Amino acid sequence: MLAQKLHLLRHNVLSFVSSRTGSDFTRRQYDVIVVGGGHAGTEAAAAAARLGAETLLITQKIMTIGALSCNPSLGGVGKGQLVREVDALDGLCGRAGDAAGVHFSILNRSKGPAVWGPRAQLDRERYRQFIQSELLSTPRLTVLEGSVDELLVSQPNPEEPGHHRVTGIRLVDGSHPILSSSVVLTTGTFLSGSLFMGQTTSPGGRMGDAQSCAGLSYTLKETLGLRVGRLRTGTPPRIVKESVDLSLAQLQAPDKQPTPFSFLNTHTRCKPEEQLPCYLTHTTPGVERVVRESVHLNCHIQQDAKGPRYCPSIESRVLRFPGRRHQVWLEPEGLTSDLLYPQGLSMTMPPELQLRLLREIPALHRAEIRTPGYGVQYDFVCPTQLTPSLQVKSTQGLFLAGQINGTTGYEEAAAQGLWAGVNAGRTALSLPPMALSRTQSYIGVLIDDLVGRGVTEPYRMFTSRAEFRTYLRPDNADLRLTPRGFEEVGCVTLRRYKKAVSVRDGLQEALMALQSVALSSTRWREKLGNISLSENKSTTLNGLDLLQYKDVSFEMLASAFPECLSQYFEYSQRLKIEAVYRPHCEKQSREMERIRSEESLSLPSDMDYLSLPVSLSQEVREILDRVRPNTLGAATRLPGMTPAGIIHLLNYVLRTGQRNRHTEHRNRSSQKEGEKGQLCASNIPISQ
Amino acid sequence: IFFVHRASPSARGLCIPTRAVCDAETIFALSSGHGRCGVAVVRVSGPASSMVLRNMAGLTQALPPPRTALLRRITDPKSKELLDRGLVLWFKGPHSFTGEDSAEFHIHGGPAVITAVLQALGSLEGVRPAEAGEFTRRAFHAGKLGLTEVEGLGDLIHAETEAQRRQALRQMDGELGRLYQDWSYRLKRCLAHVEAFIDFSEDELIEDGVLNQVDSSVRQLETEIERHLKDERRGERLRTGVQVVIAGATNAGKSSLLNTHRVPPSRGTTRRPLVEREGVRRARQRVEQADLTLVVVDSTQLPPDPQLVAAFLQQHLSTVLPSPEAGMTAASDKVLLVLNKSDLVPEEQRERTEGELRERPGLPPACFLSCSTSTGLEDFLTVLQSRVKTLCGDPLSGAPSLTQARHRAHLQQSVQALNQYHQYRDQDLALAAEGVRLALTHLGRITGRVGAEEILDIIFRDFCIGK
Repeated sequence: MLAQKLHLLRHNVLSFVSSRTGSDFTRRQYDVIVVGGGHAGTEAAAAAARLGAETLLITQKIMTIGALSCNPSLGGVGKGQLVREVDALDGLCGRAGDAAGVHFSILNRSKGPAVWGPRAQLDRERYRQFIQSELLSTPRLTVLEGSVDELLVSQPNPEEPGHHRVTGIRLVDGSHPILSSSVVLTTGTFLSGSLFMGQTTSPGGRMGDAQSCAGLSYTLKETLGLRVGRLRTGTPPRIVKESVDLSLAQLQAPDKQPTPFSFLNTHTRCKPEEQLPCYLTHTTPGVERVVRESVHLNCHIQQDAKGPRYCPSIESRVLRFPGRRHQVWLEPEGLTSDLLYPQGLSMTMPPELQLRLLREIPALHRAEIRTPGYGVQYDFVCPTQLTPSLQVKSTQGLFLAGQINGTTGYEEAAAQGLWAGVNAGRTALSLPPMALSRTQSYIGVLIDDLVGRGVTEPYRMFTSRAEFRTYLRPDNADLRLTPRGFEEVGCVTLRRYKKAVSVRDGLQEALMALQSVALSSTRWREKLGNISLSENKSTTLNGLDLLQYKDVSFEMLASAFPECLSQYFEYSQRLKIEAVYRPHCEKQSREMERIRSEESLSLPSDMDYLSLPVSLSQEVREILDRVRPNTLGAATRLPGMTPAGIIHLLNYVLRTGQRNRHTEHRNRSSQKEGEKGQLCASNIPISQ
Repeated sequence: IFFVHRASPSARGLCIPTRAVCDAETIFALSSGHGRCGVAVVRVSGPASSMVLRNMAGLTQALPPPRTALLRRITDPKSKELLDRGLVLWFKGPHSFTGEDSAEFHIHGGPAVITAVLQALGSLEGVRPAEAGEFTRRAFHAGKLGLTEVEGLGDLIHAETEAQRRQALRQMDGELGRLYQDWSYRLKRCLAHVEAFIDFSEDELIEDGVLNQVDSSVRQLETEIERHLKDERRGERLRTGVQVVIAGATNAGKSSLLNTHRVPPSRGTTRRPLVEREGVRRARQRVEQADLTLVVVDSTQLPPDPQLVAAFLQQHLSTVLPSPEAGMTAASDKVLLVLNKSDLVPEEQRERTEGELRERPGLPPACFLSCSTSTGLEDFLTVLQSRVKTLCGDPLSGAPSLTQARHRAHLQQSVQALNQYHQYRDQDLALAAEGVRLALTHLGRITGRVGAEEILDIIFRDFCIGK
């Protein structure tokens, strides 16, 4: 009966045969169940399956898998770095972006390669198709249409910390539970979501989709006792392209040569000449007038008393920064779409006023709205209740990713989804969970910020959040993550691994070749023509030194020494970037090491800080008890934490740890070596 | 890159990193007490220790044999000016306190000599003043301390942090403090605006010329800090000596105590009466900055039953002293209780109370005295003098030369980092911003650490940033 109500998109034949019974289309037991088919859910499901876990993805509507609910774009400054990192760990969104992009550009091109922001406007249809077909061809992954009513939990495994253990889910209309070792929840804005437009409010997480998750919300709050908060977001009206006078807007052309997101791609599906433009226009005093006149008809804005620091809507923009011109980007929705997306005009006023507002902008003076903008309020789970593997601390096997953790943005969701999927898979396969260091990736920064500090407004990635920005660059994400992703995590396929290794070796060789060509600065000037070198005449400089100079390109050096350098032409841009940043990254490596050694000192999650027999002030105890940092590093970054408190904590855990280890030693002396190996901080690879 | 989280009970302990945490920097500190002392000891630890020794003790050839004292002329490495003649010692790692290469300078104890040597050390590349407890922490990480010694480390760091904090508080109170805070505020804005330009200018309307403003602000800051570093006399002199604060309720006899003119005439003692008018907040602030606090209580206000006195005093102290969080507990050795007007209390009650209070854990020592009859004053002065002596011999209690050297070093590094901003401004804004970040980190060592969230606060306040 269950199976009749469920539409099965696809089931992997191999995994299917063994469990198929009677008329049931689905197995009753999986390694990993992922709830939600958005950016977090699809990455989580694909990652768990890549790891080797039998995975089930459950979504309300199969057709909306891979849907771009809001803006038709991917990447940007900070976000582009996340996309490159997800791709380096063999995630989907980078390749999906290359397949669906219709307008590619590298933002911040003039500001230094560390902060370049690869970005693309997307064709919604192509993006969805790519994600769906990618999931279809993923072995060990089954997709099921349905609505989850309840999380099944049981007694915890006493060997591990936690009060509960997740055992599976129950569907709204299914009497039979579906069991699994781990569950990843990626419910986006659907957790107790409500939609706002003007003065009307309706339950739901996205316009046009069924409401959901009442049961799930109950399980999380009541059964598991998780603390939740409420956040808000919004989306702009979609405008009929034909009704827009584009001659009154400023044309924004894409890059002539699109740069793919993915390290696997040399070009994008969209040809350079097929790309679509964007348009830039501005708000007028009329826009401000309409906002002011409509405030009393706008529930979402009236409730905005304790809103985020930035301006999530046009209403908040003009109310907080009055008398200014604000930018509005008119973005294509796809190659065949007849709509435009007005980036910067997210609004929640009644539809008739939305139309009035739009028409105050010259280019939009005849604009027609296809679907009006609206606001969403939804529950999120305070992410300080998670470990760095994105597992709920109190519930073994339960992982959360995406907006449910208080973030905003496709890229932030995808990054968490991938990492939650990795750890859900590892848990199911009885492997220890893993964390990413904030010294090595933006994904690590994102997760460390979330679980270490929590959120008060939707969390979005900025490059200013990364301490080691000059090392966490979009160009080297593959070197930073892919080899380890294959060797240690298991989420990277052999094909990608081989490619990354060959790039790594090629770059290494090229760097050595550059260092092998050494001349005096006088000789360099003779060879390369009129370049300004600050060193005095007799100083000997090698090729790598020279490449640090602004006016020196790899091509120039290669033409001076063709016999030993010309074979590395394919790496010319990466070599130039490496040469400029390498000395700075080396300077920071000490600080990186310090952070990483603190990150590697984990604090037991069940520590009773309030009665710990060490010298800690009440204030510090309360902070520790509230936040329950996962590592000594996280504790160090807590506001209010004192250096003395850190040392006392270190000392206490060290002593108890030793005691545990002694008992442990008697029981299982053979395991000690393995543990030790896991904890040693490895060297920082700058370009190895 | 990846850290395995140890969630199983078998792995719940903690692992000491195998290597010292910040092992590549060389640090120095005054290890002996300040105040009048014959010899002062300055310790250096880290890989550059041998370089320091060569540069400052004129050892061009071989280093002296390890752990052997050598009499040398100690000179400024830059100006070659003679600073002092003293003993130098060389400790080759791992046979040293910290396990690293180390050196010691035994110099004359005058403040001028100490200051000069510390400043000379701070001017060397790769050498910086030690943070609170850093020598001990290094020794800990090098496995030089046993577990029992580690237990003391937390307290030591607490004490050092406290001493530095008190010193900083005193300073932040004055003209110099306002100057540093102003630089910090301007630098934060510079960074926020550069970061805003990097993170948002492609999508948002960030006014033209934001970077030009940053250029001139950074240049202005550089000029001001450099000028400040060149001309020390312009900066406010740090208050030196042990600060003693007299606190107590109205009419308890604070002024009388001060006016006995018998408060130890030992040099370097600041007398600072606390007037009720200053208000509770201000009074507490003073107490927080003090090295020693005399809490004056009117004996006639004590409960007649001697058994209740301890609890009464405890309660009284909690109202006079700042919260224990600020490091001032009643048991702290930085407090003395003065029970004034003892002549107005019956002899028998006083004696029984004294017996009750003797060696009472959780209470500072208490002295009965009468300012009007001078009874008990001698005993009190003996206790007070021994306290002040201990404080002077304690390298932690407000050594201004050390603080000055720390500040100088951080300010110098800050200026150097700002240089990087100009160097890369047109070539690579990420590297230019790195210079401002670094400058703020160094200045933050004086004025307080600045996190990413604080910078975002400024960005969102100054610019209209959308979703």
